[in-house]
Amino acid sequence: MERRDFLKSAGIAGILAAGRAPAFAQGSRLHVLRWVDFIPACDVELKRQAPEASKALGAEVQFEFINANDLQPRITAAIQSRSGPDIIMMLHNWPHLYQSGLVDVTDLGEWQGKDQGGYYAQSEAAARDGKRWLALPHGIVGLQMAYRKSWFDEVGAISWPKTLEDLRQVGMKLKKKGKPIGQTLGHTFGDAPAWSYPLMWNYGAAEVDKSGKKVVLDTKEAVESLKFMQAFWKDACDEGGLAWDDTNNNRAFLAGDISCTLNGASIYIAAKRGQDKIKDDRGEPMVRDIQHGPIPNGPAGSWGYHVAFSHAVMKYSKNEKLAKDFLKWLHGKEQFGKWFEVAEGFSVGSTKQWEKHPLWDRIDPPMKGYRTAAAASRMIGYAGPPSAKATEVYSKYIIVDMYAKAVQGLKAEDAVKWAADELKKIYG
Amino acid sequence: MVIERRWKKWVFFYIPLTLFIIGTLFPFYWMFITSIRPDAELYRSWRAVNNAPFWTLHPTLDHFQDLMAKTTFPTWLWNTFFIAVASTLISLFCGLLAGYALARLRFPLAGTLGTSIFVTYLVPPTLLFIPLADIIRNFQLGNTPWALILTYPTFLVPFCTWLLMGYFKTIPRELEECARIDGASRFGAMVRIIFPIAVPGILSAGIFAFTLSWNEFIYALVFLSSPERKTVPVGVVSELIRGDIYFWGQLMAGALLGSVPVALVYSFFVEYYVTGLTGSVKG
Amino acid sequence: MKNPIAGGAGGAAGVEVALPHPRTSRVQPRTRVLESERLLAALLLAPAVLLLGTFIAYPFVMGVWLSLSSTTVGTAGTFVGLKNFEKVWNDSIFREAFQNTAIYTGLATLFKLSLGMWLALLLNRHFRGKRLVRASMLLPFIVPTVLSTYAWRWMFDPTFSVLNWTLYKLGFIADKLPFLSDGVWGLGCAIVVNTWRGMPFFAITLLAGLQTINPDLHEAASLDGANAWERFWYVTWPLLKPVTLVVVVFSVIQTFSDFQLIYVLTGGGPANSTHLIATYAYQIGVATGLLGEGAAISLFMLPVLFIVVWLQLRYLRRLEGA
Repeated sequence: MERRDFLKSAGIAGILAAGRAPAFAQGSRLHVLRWVDFIPACDVELKRQAPEASKALGAEVQFEFINANDLQPRITAAIQSRSGPDIIMMLHNWPHLYQSGLVDVTDLGEWQGKDQGGYYAQSEAAARDGKRWLALPHGIVGLQMAYRKSWFDEVGAISWPKTLEDLRQVGMKLKKKGKPIGQTLGHTFGDAPAWSYPLMWNYGAAEVDKSGKKVVLDTKEAVESLKFMQAFWKDACDEGGLAWDDTNNNRAFLAGDISCTLNGASIYIAAKRGQDKIKDDRGEPMVRDIQHGPIPNGPAGSWGYHVAFSHAVMKYSKNEKLAKDFLKWLHGKEQFGKWFEVAEGFSVGSTKQWEKHPLWDRIDPPMKGYRTAAAASRMIGYAGPPSAKATEVYSKYIIVDMYAKAVQGLKAEDAVKWAADELKKIYG
Repeated sequence: MVIERRWKKWVFFYIPLTLFIIGTLFPFYWMFITSIRPDAELYRSWRAVNNAPFWTLHPTLDHFQDLMAKTTFPTWLWNTFFIAVASTLISLFCGLLAGYALARLRFPLAGTLGTSIFVTYLVPPTLLFIPLADIIRNFQLGNTPWALILTYPTFLVPFCTWLLMGYFKTIPRELEECARIDGASRFGAMVRIIFPIAVPGILSAGIFAFTLSWNEFIYALVFLSSPERKTVPVGVVSELIRGDIYFWGQLMAGALLGSVPVALVYSFFVEYYVTGLTGSVKG
Repeated sequence: MKNPIAGGAGGAAGVEVALPHPRTSRVQPRTRVLESERLLAALLLAPAVLLLGTFIAYPFVMGVWLSLSSTTVGTAGTFVGLKNFEKVWNDSIFREAFQNTAIYTGLATLFKLSLGMWLALLLNRHFRGKRLVRASMLLPFIVPTVLSTYAWRWMFDPTFSVLNWTLYKLGFIADKLPFLSDGVWGLGCAIVVNTWRGMPFFAITLLAGLQTINPDLHEAASLDGANAWERFWYVTWPLLKPVTLVVVVFSVIQTFSDFQLIYVLTGGGPANSTHLIATYAYQIGVATGLLGEGAAISLFMLPVLFIVVWLQLRYLRRLEGA
């Protein structure tokens, strides 16, 4: 059997050789995993910075960009197999969910806050657990409702609706003209929760009380918010929205199919960059007709949900020091400032200093709303403290599905009850 | 009489077959037309007046060019090919030997073992996914093609074994016995007499395994990380899907190009595939 | 066309033949050892068992352990008995997913079988371009699922759907159809895509089965005055039953644990109405990081699959025994 033995041992040796070589050679290579940015220029800018970083750190920095909806499986697999990228970008309050796999970056967190004018509450809620920083806040993608100014004017809405009810009235007229409002209620990471959570809050409902343990969703207020949504959906929305992911509304808006949608600034920026191609019905560049407004007030106020982004150093990484040095470099005023300018307001900083950046003075008027948007944000899991439980609710799309179920015909009371039961199983 | 027959043939044969062909191939036509259509035409609302989705007057190769220039598509293609071929070969090797043993040899626990190999096919990949990540770490295979080459056989070997076992059962025992009377060893008879006869079966199992490997998405998504190591499905999905940058053209171009190699393999072997399956299904 | 392939096959066989030569000629005692059936069987089975043992049996045991523990991502859990299973069983989303999986598997398999059978019967006839048609019919089966499902998603796109356009232009609809934005439609679309993808495999395998049927039988039957349907029902179908069962078994296994298609098409939405067990297990285990619970959800598939497959195989044995 020599031959077979030989084959076998050769095979294994070959496998090991192929497997080990890169693993050991990685000592001086830093692998950073991020989403594919909705503003492609941002990724280009990072790629441009990579060689500079490599020079500054004496190690090769390599960026990988993947579809945002595929980030979570990658993180889970990386933590479980204790191998993978050294730094991974986190959205929302994911750092709490994955905290046992992340390196404590308190020193960096403190440094950045002091260095750059103090954090928004949203940044802190996303990445900090008590005193400990789980990840280093990078930016916040503000969400505003993009709308077609001329179409709103046509139906008599000269200024942006003040209340949700006003928005429904305007939307009703627009939908009759075949230009509905577009809103996703699908299983997708950004726009769906960013609409559902504020809607709940603006009607005065919340997932849990301050302790973060008692579910308080099953209230009159929550039922009211659902009833609003049912009417809003039927009267004003494109009913295809149940199937949309974060990208569909962008396309629908730019194709002139919808009049208004909740989104990051990416629609405006894409329309601006492609002005010679993206035209409105009169043949003018569509960008001139785009305006932004916040989610209108509900009976209990006007909150938004703006998506926090942070960078986490993975515990399994063999380059912990290097990774931290790199983050300090990347998040420093100089480098972040360059990236921030490229983002053109799509991503605002995680700290307040960036509100003062000269970019805001020369930016197009429709973009100005994003400047301070991040301040009016609550974190998912409100009113409790940030926790992995809230992330679980988010990942199971329970709040989103509560609204989705209601617009599909489930009675508002029953939808709230369903969601409250699911929440109790998670928080209880 | 003749006229009636022709009429019948249309109703029972030509029309249904044409419908099948349209139904089966329309998505491919759609991929094709999407991939050669300029962006301005692609993103017209379905109700737009000037919408003519079935053809284009301004065909363009931009999407293909972008795919080649802005992504590492050729590398993905090569990775997928390499991984698919290697895991297919490993699975065939295992399946061939095991299939023969289960079909031909008498030994204790034969039935149990056969059943358990089959049962492994039932284990859902979503269950194996996390533990496999552990194993891959232990073997230090993360982010190497071997992570996939060694995990794909988990769903390929049971199928190959089962298919080849069926095929071997159809080969008359007498053939082997004659060879052994002529002085061949059991092993020799297996390799020289039985395996060559089983070539159609081996081909079908191989083609099937190749297709499944080419197809795999979830293991490839999580076990590989650097862009230059990705497979076609993962590369196309993770790098061509974004917010507002319209990538349907490139996505469909990638889907088309990603299918070509498998389609070629099939067009050569489809008749063998049928013959091979014929053997197995008889058994 | 035959020759080069046969040559290739011969070549492949040649490689195999070269292997035992040194043994038979030089090392007689070793080959004698191989004459023992048990030992040879052990040797032949070793690679498969080793591979499956390492990459299935061990992960499987680990998976079962996960399902009995409170493991979440990054933290080793403790043993919690059947708590995860209990939680899953009482989970309304899981029940919905389970029901969806049953409907999805049942209907898709039914469609694949009936359409596949029909197509196989059509392809079994002689006509010009037969080879080309046969090969092209296999295309849906060979394109990577993820990519072809994106093509379908693009056809179902709420804003740009070509299907809506066609139906609208033909005057069948006044407003767009809610392809993926309605729960029932969504599941229906998923079944259509699954059928489209899986039907060729049915057709080709059944075609293989049809070709083993002796044409004399058909001739005899038509001499006895049987019409086409009777010939199919009394001659073809009984002979084709074993093959059919085997294909159905494989298809049920694949469809029941399907993941990619839903993941791409709807992600389980709207409001979980298209979640399958596998996609839900993935959402809980991988996306939410509740590894224990995710494993428990996956494990729920096993007994169901096992029973379905066992029943089918038992029936198959009876058929073959008869």
